Amino acid sequence: MALISEITLEQTLPLVFAGMEQDLPVSASEVWLRDVSFRRGLNYMVEAESGTGKSSLCSFIYGSRGDYSGRILFDGTDISSLTVARWCELRSRSLAYLPQEMQLFGELTALENIEIKNRLTAHKSTDWILSALRRLEIEAKADVPACRLSVGQQQRVAIIRALCQPFDFLLIDEPVSHLDARNNGIVASLIAEEADAQGAAVIATSVGNKILLPFAQTLKL
Amino acid sequence: MSASSHPSLVWRLLRRNISLPQLTGYTLANLVGLAIVLSALQFYRDVRSIWDAEDSLISRDYLIISKRVKGITIGTHSGEFTEEEIAELEQQPWLRSMGRFNAAGFRVGASLDLWGRGMSTALFLEAIPDSFYDVKPAMWKWEPTIGRDGEYPPVPIIISKDYLTLYNFGFAASRGYPQISEATIGELPLRLYLSGRGREMRLQGRIVGFSSRLNTFAVPESFLEWANAELADEPAQQPSRLILEVNTPGDPAIQRYLDEHSYESAGDKADTGRAAYFLSIATATVMSVGVIISILAFFILVLSIYLLIQKNRQKLRSLMMLGYSPSAVARQYYIIVGALNAIVLAGAVAAVLVARSCWGAALGEIGAESASPWVTIAVGVVIILVVTAGNMHVIRHEISKTFPRPRR
Repeated sequence: MALISEITLEQTLPLVFAGMEQDLPVSASEVWLRDVSFRRGLNYMVEAESGTGKSSLCSFIYGSRGDYSGRILFDGTDISSLTVARWCELRSRSLAYLPQEMQLFGELTALENIEIKNRLTAHKSTDWILSALRRLEIEAKADVPACRLSVGQQQRVAIIRALCQPFDFLLIDEPVSHLDARNNGIVASLIAEEADAQGAAVIATSVGNKILLPFAQTLKL
Repeated sequence: MSASSHPSLVWRLLRRNISLPQLTGYTLANLVGLAIVLSALQFYRDVRSIWDAEDSLISRDYLIISKRVKGITIGTHSGEFTEEEIAELEQQPWLRSMGRFNAAGFRVGASLDLWGRGMSTALFLEAIPDSFYDVKPAMWKWEPTIGRDGEYPPVPIIISKDYLTLYNFGFAASRGYPQISEATIGELPLRLYLSGRGREMRLQGRIVGFSSRLNTFAVPESFLEWANAELADEPAQQPSRLILEVNTPGDPAIQRYLDEHSYESAGDKADTGRAAYFLSIATATVMSVGVIISILAFFILVLSIYLLIQKNRQKLRSLMMLGYSPSAVARQYYIIVGALNAIVLAGAVAAVLVARSCWGAALGEIGAESASPWVTIAVGVVIILVVTAGNMHVIRHEISKTFPRPRR
């Protein structure tokens, strides 16, 4: 059963934009200071230019930052009222997140970075993880410390890690910014398979290089 | 699956930045502090056994006081305590309870038949409340009921142990009288002659016990009240001696009070009390030093944990971004703190046991029985549990501050 079916933004605005409501980019935004809903089962693309608050949006929804006005609701519940225990549950069973800066642990290997998540959720088998590494063509890097991987390789490791949990919503912040078109397609097909299997929604952001998924709605930030 | 089954990866991340010198410093400092606290406690308990093993009532908690005799006073009431003086004594904070020595208001004579050799003497009788006796003979009661033989029942008497010693080694030896043991003296026929108000009474007496605390011939209060009512020349006198039960033996306030009022306390009991008091102060001083060292050590560890969490803050946050709970990541630090404190406790207990074996022989020679170390160990366990709980609280608080959640 889904823990979250709908994520709603009500007149949300990053505090840094306070007093700039009539100015660009806020005045032209289809997200800030609007009422927006993301539903489970659909894919959303949030297009943005640099500095419009794309990563802030992901952080607000993932609950790691609270510097905004307005409200964000999970199925009608204001997320600012959620307990620590609830956040832990959601982050291991309902909300998957690929941050733009990846947040890999440099001293752990690629495989260990994935395992540290998967051991918490026990969602995937080691075989699945290895096959995913093979599919994203970084199998040879499995035992290399993450600090020695290229940004593109780190991005793929972080994508596999994000998939090592059940989710209703997958937040991917510029998932393919360092990947070529061919790798973009490989990553997109893996993500689509996982999201479809769970009936989940994908919310992706992009400043130009979009992940090749079929999007139900594209929002301009 | 819970996070506890796979600590290795998390541990590998979080053990970075652990400062071995800091943790070693904490462990040594807290070990020294706790060892001092526990050793002082054990020493105190061992030495206290000297007081406890003896007749605790003489040495520790009871004082018999009287007014200082000045020159020669005849027929006055100057040696008696007035009601005002007694009331003032009862107000003193160090006093737990007080008993009055009631004296006989009539003349008493006694004769003893020692295997054909008669011995007679003038005597005095006193009574104090039963709760102040250090001995409790079974026959310690008296009622004025005349028996079938037409006589009152024998009057039970408790005398000072010193009197028997005085008789056996001073009197009997020089006069060629037989020496008497505590057991046989109760068998001897003792006749009491009471006279007053122009009347004379003869009663049987029996010595039923020996007191180390009371320097008198003591009879039950019920007897003295009855006899005073029958024979006393004048109404009940004020007591000239009081027995005091005090809270802290050797409390200087007691001696100061007695000096100010020109009261005297019997024997050297106050000195023994002072030794006990000194022991308390010395122990408290040593324990305070240990406590201060332990508190400083506690802050060293708290500071060390604080720095460690600061340095690992980004990693802690990243782990919790992945869904790890604060308690799952805190567990790693709990384990460190728990292990260190267990080492400290084990080391301190070992130090106490070693120290105890060092002073045990010396104390044994002056009659101390070693007190059980379990109380000391239990105190150590409680202290370490409190310290550990304090450490864990700091860890939990610091990590919770790092938890990624919307703070509005």
